[in-house]
Amino acid sequence: MAGGTKRDYDGNARAKTSQQLPRGRFHAMFENIRDELDEHYDRRERVIKASRDVTAQSKKIIFTLQRVKELNKDFPGDIQKDVDTRLKEIAKLLSPIAADVQSINRYRYGNSLKCLEELVEALSFAHYLRHQKVITPEETQAATPADVLLTPHDYMFGLFDLFGELMRFATVTTAQSGKLVGDHERNILSDIQELGCSFEMLPQIPTKDFRGKMEVMRQSINKVEKLGYGLVVRGSERPKGWVPDTRDDIPRPASPV
Amino acid sequence: MAAPPPTLLDPSIFASLEAKLEEETQIRDTLAQLVQRLDRSVATAQGLLSRVHSTPRSRYPQLVAQVEAAVKDEAAIISELDKVASQHPYYKYNYKWTRSVQHAIGTAIYCAWLGGFPPKAPESEQASEAAASSSSASSKEAEIGRLLTLEEVGAIFSVPTNLKSRDAFHLTIEEYLLSLADLTSDLARLATNAVTLGDFQLPLTISAFVKDLFAGFQLLNLKNDIIRKRADGVKYEVKRVEDVVYDLSLRGLIQRPGAAAGAGGADTVMEAAE
Repeated sequence: MAGGTKRDYDGNARAKTSQQLPRGRFHAMFENIRDELDEHYDRRERVIKASRDVTAQSKKIIFTLQRVKELNKDFPGDIQKDVDTRLKEIAKLLSPIAADVQSINRYRYGNSLKCLEELVEALSFAHYLRHQKVITPEETQAATPADVLLTPHDYMFGLFDLFGELMRFATVTTAQSGKLVGDHERNILSDIQELGCSFEMLPQIPTKDFRGKMEVMRQSINKVEKLGYGLVVRGSERPKGWVPDTRDDIPRPASPV
Repeated sequence: MAAPPPTLLDPSIFASLEAKLEEETQIRDTLAQLVQRLDRSVATAQGLLSRVHSTPRSRYPQLVAQVEAAVKDEAAIISELDKVASQHPYYKYNYKWTRSVQHAIGTAIYCAWLGGFPPKAPESEQASEAAASSSSASSKEAEIGRLLTLEEVGAIFSVPTNLKSRDAFHLTIEEYLLSLADLTSDLARLATNAVTLGDFQLPLTISAFVKDLFAGFQLLNLKNDIIRKRADGVKYEVKRVEDVVYDLSLRGLIQRPGAAAGAGGADTVMEAAE
């Protein structure tokens, strides 16, 4: 087997330098090993790069979705367009590395592919806003814009992150509409509580990651619960139909006097 | 009000998550038990191997035979591990066993270095496992300083190596390289202890071997990871052995190529052990 190509930081082939080194007895064997390791390192590098960009795009989708005001409605045109273009971007990023994470390599680079959790978060948030339902693993896989397998772990940890988004969404919409949004005799508070209970009832995984996510989840639920409390206690003081002014262009008094 | 109000959660979602998590816990428990047994077996082999430091070279064959038996004991457990692990994605659970397997590989390599697992006469050792080792132990002088390749280690343990397209249990290149680094540090210790036992030739064999390994490590384009850390450490072992060789040659205790052999080799040996 011929020796492999050394590559520099940018992946360009580099002139061979190994000739000057003394040729030990195990030279050929180590050259083979080097080729194998290079292949592995290059692959991991590609996955990490793509993953970082997919994470960034997913986060932007989430920011865009936080501008949605209502549940169970089609997204406004500009938001839908923005989400679509970003998903296309993600497809473009993931497709080239799809081959790198097939079969045995799916879990090998699982840690480098944390972007999928972020993607699940975005997809599940969009799904909730549109349908007020939690996306299923099958729907998530179908919505993933590339031939990359989502693991149950990706799905579960993506859902964990959904709590933070639901909390933010609940806070903003409650402030704007004066009530907890929701249809079908459910509202976002009961939804987040129900989802939280489901997680609480899962067998606990003894990892720091899992415990941390559980803690953040509880805090998010707690914040939405306080919103509900505030509405009952103080909401009666609000005139019916009163909505805080959300227009930004109203000139504020220059000084409070 | 519409007919049946849609629910938040498809009940199958968390039912299947729960089932998966419970399955994972079971798998981890099963693997933990296997790994614990493997660790014990490896410890036995390592314990036997540690006797090499106080064993003169003439008695290596007996020691090696014991280690070979211990390695076969490891192989039996590894084949059980293979059966369990191959049912699941390899890299999902390999953190459970990779260190133990690395040490097991290390014992096999060390054993072969000391003359164990002799290669089959017609050069094709792949065919069957190391069945011939014990029977042919006395056939001819065992060669010291032989390096098993990863494939040969795989043959001893009857498991595949460096799988790339099939998702099943195997020995990895990383485990092999780390076990080589382990080997160099123990050989460096052996170099000094061999001198104490009056064996002045072994440090030369070790020195050449460790240098060749070091040259091999230098061929790798390593990232900033554990292999790099361990490979960087090999040079200190090289130096340790070189120091021993230096001490010996400074005092004229080893034959130099070309120079006439010291008349009374045995006498100088005695003097050296001060």
